[in-house]
Amino acid sequence: MTAVISTDKVCRYFGEDYETQVKAVDRVSIEIGRGEFTAIVGPSGSGKTTLLHLLGGLDNPTSGSVELSGTNIAEMSGAVLSDFRRDHIGFIFQSYNLIPVLSAEENIEYIMLLQGVDAEERKHRVAEMLKQVGLEGLGDRRPSKLSGGQQQRVAIARAMVSHPEIILADEPTANLDSKTGIALLDLMKELNEKHNMTFVFSTHDEKIMNRAGRLIYMQDGEIESDEVK
Amino acid sequence: MQTFKLAFRNLFRNVRRTLLTVMLISLSLAALIAVDGIMRGMLTLMIENVTSTIVGEAQVHRVGYRENMDIDIFLENSDEIAQKLQQDPALESFTARVISGAMISSSYNVTAGLLYGVDAQRERTVSKLAQAVVEGEYLSGGDSELLIGDSMADLLEVGLGDRIVLTLSEAGTGELAQALFRISGIVDFGTRELDDNFIFVNISAARQALAMTDQQTHEFALNFVNLEDADNPQLGIFQQLNDEETEALGWLDLNGEIGLIIELSSYTSLIVGGILFFLASLGVINSMFMSIYERIYEFGVIKAIGTRPAAISHLILYEALLIGVFSCVLGIVMGYLLGLYTSNFGIGIGEMEFSGIAFSDNILSEFHIIQFTQFPVYVVLLTVVAAIYPARFAAKIIPSDALQRSL
Repeated sequence: MTAVISTDKVCRYFGEDYETQVKAVDRVSIEIGRGEFTAIVGPSGSGKTTLLHLLGGLDNPTSGSVELSGTNIAEMSGAVLSDFRRDHIGFIFQSYNLIPVLSAEENIEYIMLLQGVDAEERKHRVAEMLKQVGLEGLGDRRPSKLSGGQQQRVAIARAMVSHPEIILADEPTANLDSKTGIALLDLMKELNEKHNMTFVFSTHDEKIMNRAGRLIYMQDGEIESDEVK
Repeated sequence: MQTFKLAFRNLFRNVRRTLLTVMLISLSLAALIAVDGIMRGMLTLMIENVTSTIVGEAQVHRVGYRENMDIDIFLENSDEIAQKLQQDPALESFTARVISGAMISSSYNVTAGLLYGVDAQRERTVSKLAQAVVEGEYLSGGDSELLIGDSMADLLEVGLGDRIVLTLSEAGTGELAQALFRISGIVDFGTRELDDNFIFVNISAARQALAMTDQQTHEFALNFVNLEDADNPQLGIFQQLNDEETEALGWLDLNGEIGLIIELSSYTSLIVGGILFFLASLGVINSMFMSIYERIYEFGVIKAIGTRPAAISHLILYEALLIGVFSCVLGIVMGYLLGLYTSNFGIGIGEMEFSGIAFSDNILSEFHIIQFTQFPVYVVLLTVVAAIYPARFAAKIIPSDALQRSL
């Protein structure tokens, strides 16, 4: 399987004083192949979020490399990195983090505007995504008029609409009740299988992690185990 | 377009803060419009008082006369000059004067003063002498008529019809001469310098007392059709009259200190505007930072999903632009209403004398096109400039820092 995500001894340390330095991610080397549905699991403070930051180019590693589709994003910055994220990575956030002044449709459409997709295509893709995440007829609602589960579906649609190779999600079900969380994970899994997108998500919910095809356990910034089901 | 739409909608996320910012900027603009209008009104009043009280908008003398007002330095060719003035279309009116220092005596007291011999009819069209008569009659051309300032009349303990004897030296010979006049009117210019020291008689009587001929004149005072022409040395009348013998000067040259005050006044709007907009800019920066901190996670999100730093910067600048535009609309309306009130009812300054010029009228605010064109443009530009720092800050937000609670 071709690796779309590859890290080599990537480290992220906080603080410069050796005595008080926090090793949030320490010498992590992983390879994740195209279409994998991978969960990064571990207790709070284990480094899951920091690792996702590094994989998404939201933070720079202290050392080591992070390659996405063969490109070392640790060497990118500014607009180049923004463009790379826009075109290659979809993000799903724990608190949904939709833009509150835009409707569900406009939130989904936003990234395509950044990509310069033409209006017709945008309209088509938004309608398609709303259908796929089960929000047909709710596209004109602003986030405040949607439930938590519905907002997270919009966030999934926003992450997928630009056809990224990789989708990163940090505890995407943390703010949802377990039933909605499982339904959402099933939706993500379904989309993963349908579109062959690579999903990497963090969680510490056992019910959720059971649905992952691969489990990477983290503890104190290091990978404790890597298990493919 | 999406960024602009976002910026527009963002303004309504915290309506109270947006309104406060808009009010701050619009009040600054309204205040600037009002201050500029009042300054313009004050300058107009000042110029009007300077030119219309006695000086006129321009004067013609023989070269050297203004240095010590020597009665021997007079224009010899009054008719020739009057003819040139008569033919000039830029001039509205003019009048000739003879001027001399004199000892002014009544039956009870003596004082020194300045005698103005004036052409009664022409003087009406140039100065406020006729309007200044508060008791008795204005000059009608009689040889013994004399107008006296009210405070000088008090000093000399005289009233209407009382006799005044002028002792003066004749032009050319310097011989002492005396002339008898009767007070036909008492004048009150509201200016101590004029009311304490000036007396006015008909020009023929003054010439006779000073042994001057009809062709000899100390001063021509001029009024222009357009006041602006009085400051234009390239104007035909100045070109024609200024030579080795004669000097023709506009009111600004004749009143150097007033010119300085006017020049200083022109900077007032700039200084007031600078202070107002410095304060408003601080308000804009503060408001923008509050707005950014409130939305820091959102900036983290939009940056994470691929929005370029420049686009985030543009978003903040568009918000500032919209705030600036809204503020301008409101500021223009408020400034117009404020200006309308002060242009109709004026601002009372009481009776004031400044640099020998009396101010007793209300200052009436004046509108000018730049108040509603240039000022709002400055306001929008300054608002956007004030937002550059917050915009740069927002553009530099590190997504992982902004999202640390969520991703």
